[in-house]
Amino acid sequence: MTTENAPVSMYRTTEGMGVWEHKGKVAAVGIGHSPTTRRWDGTAENTMGANSIFALRQAIEDAGVNPADIDGLVLDPVTTTGAHWPEGQDIPMDVVNAYNQTDDPLDGIAKLSAEWILKNMPELTNVKFTMYGMGCMSHAIVVAAQAVGEGRTHTCLVLKSWHNLEGRYNQAGISATDTVPGTFAVSPGRTLWGAPGSYGTALQFAEYCRKYGKSHDMMAPFMANSRRNGLMFPEGYWAQHRPEQLTAEDYVNARWIAKPANLFDNDIPIMVSGAYLFTTAERAKDMKQKPVYILNHASSRGSQRSILPTLDEVEKETAETGRKIYEGAGITPADLSFENMYDGFALFHQFHLEGLRFRGMQNGDALDFYQTDISIEGPNPVLPSGGNIGSGRSRFWMHTDCIQQIQGRAGARAITGVKPEIGVSGGPMPMGGNFTVWSATPD
Amino acid sequence: MAILISFDIDGTLEVGDPPGVLTMELVRKTQKSGILVGSCSDRPISGQRAIWEKHGIAYDFAVSKHQLPDVKAKFEADVYYHIGDREDLDRQYALAAGFEFFWPDEAVSEPWLNRDADPK
Repeated sequence: MTTENAPVSMYRTTEGMGVWEHKGKVAAVGIGHSPTTRRWDGTAENTMGANSIFALRQAIEDAGVNPADIDGLVLDPVTTTGAHWPEGQDIPMDVVNAYNQTDDPLDGIAKLSAEWILKNMPELTNVKFTMYGMGCMSHAIVVAAQAVGEGRTHTCLVLKSWHNLEGRYNQAGISATDTVPGTFAVSPGRTLWGAPGSYGTALQFAEYCRKYGKSHDMMAPFMANSRRNGLMFPEGYWAQHRPEQLTAEDYVNARWIAKPANLFDNDIPIMVSGAYLFTTAERAKDMKQKPVYILNHASSRGSQRSILPTLDEVEKETAETGRKIYEGAGITPADLSFENMYDGFALFHQFHLEGLRFRGMQNGDALDFYQTDISIEGPNPVLPSGGNIGSGRSRFWMHTDCIQQIQGRAGARAITGVKPEIGVSGGPMPMGGNFTVWSATPD
Repeated sequence: MAILISFDIDGTLEVGDPPGVLTMELVRKTQKSGILVGSCSDRPISGQRAIWEKHGIAYDFAVSKHQLPDVKAKFEADVYYHIGDREDLDRQYALAAGFEFFWPDEAVSEPWLNRDADPK
């Protein structure tokens, strides 16, 4: 079976598309996560592939379905944004041979194919549909949701895995070559001048502070809130390995990476896999967990005029994304119980938040909003998942939390200040990402 | 002679991630000899304090990597050392702040004990 990237037709990238034709007809019914680690230990038992299988099996069990009833698989085949396999480094064939191989020996170690998954999960006897949603879980989710809606698959696994290797991020592989394609150099998180990945976001944040009279220190309550929530996320890295709160003092005293982005504005790369099981609303009624319905998905494909997006461009794009999110779901900002937008660089979360017009905020309001009660116990929960800041670089804690909150399975992290009925999650970048609206009811 | 020693944590102290070669017992022994001790790490400051407190060490300071100049300004000593495992984040920051520098494996032998009483 050849797996292809999702076609352009599957995305909802423009305004004016109306309500999503499959609104409320697709549901999330299972969740699975592997344990987290900081890096791969080199063993066959703890490869990214092994983590992937673990997460998928957990999602299947969580949903209470027979694996033979699963007919679809959507995943992101790229399992890193910076831990590239070093050129010339020997591939440990004992690890490769511990699994059923594909043509690529790095499959299951530093990249992942649907073929590798299916070869190593013999219980998936009936998967007929496979597709790639490139980049992150947000992308795989919208592809899977659309695929189920369209009837390409009726019970579909959705997977995002991350590997992390010895050494420092973005130092090996393509990052160690003398030249790179321009498309790589200007892709999100990179610059032509080799500045740190957070540079572009830092620049936009600096513009934001100047324009609205704000300061970096005003981020401190948001950061502390995110880490607090993350420490209540038992599946996450910090809860599992270093359960330390991040105080305001910690945050404002951290060194700059790309001023005004400091160390803690950048998430920590980890190894982890996360998986969901999606199905039709009809089938979901008979499954183990309370269904969480997808009201809409929307995608941003913003393009900047120059080398880096400006604040104006970011604000325009995130506002448009917000409108697309609400239009397709048939809701308004007032209907949102909570938000779980991406925070991979902490300094762009407020762009997503303002684009949503969360609790009626306009551009320039978010940092003041952070000084109010944004806790899970309050009326305006911001990032109840804690995001990547709270649990490490996975780009899926936000989605898991949306599902868990609505199902009443968020444990200590449960939102209590409002009834969690409708949430939104997605990312990564303000200028490019995929977003999903989750609901306790199909309409 | 007044001595101050700053320890990186990860890759330097045994409690770090990855663990380093320097034991907390070495730090205790160093402190008992009258040397000012503390940490200079990328770990959150509150986390650094928690490590010292967990191991019963009354640290004199806990700072972020770029704050060694503040340590030097606050504590008067005849010589300042920083010990760490990274060229960019430990050695370069240390030298820029006017500290002398040891790699962890150099520090195991406690070279500061063998230093001449007259640093000049």
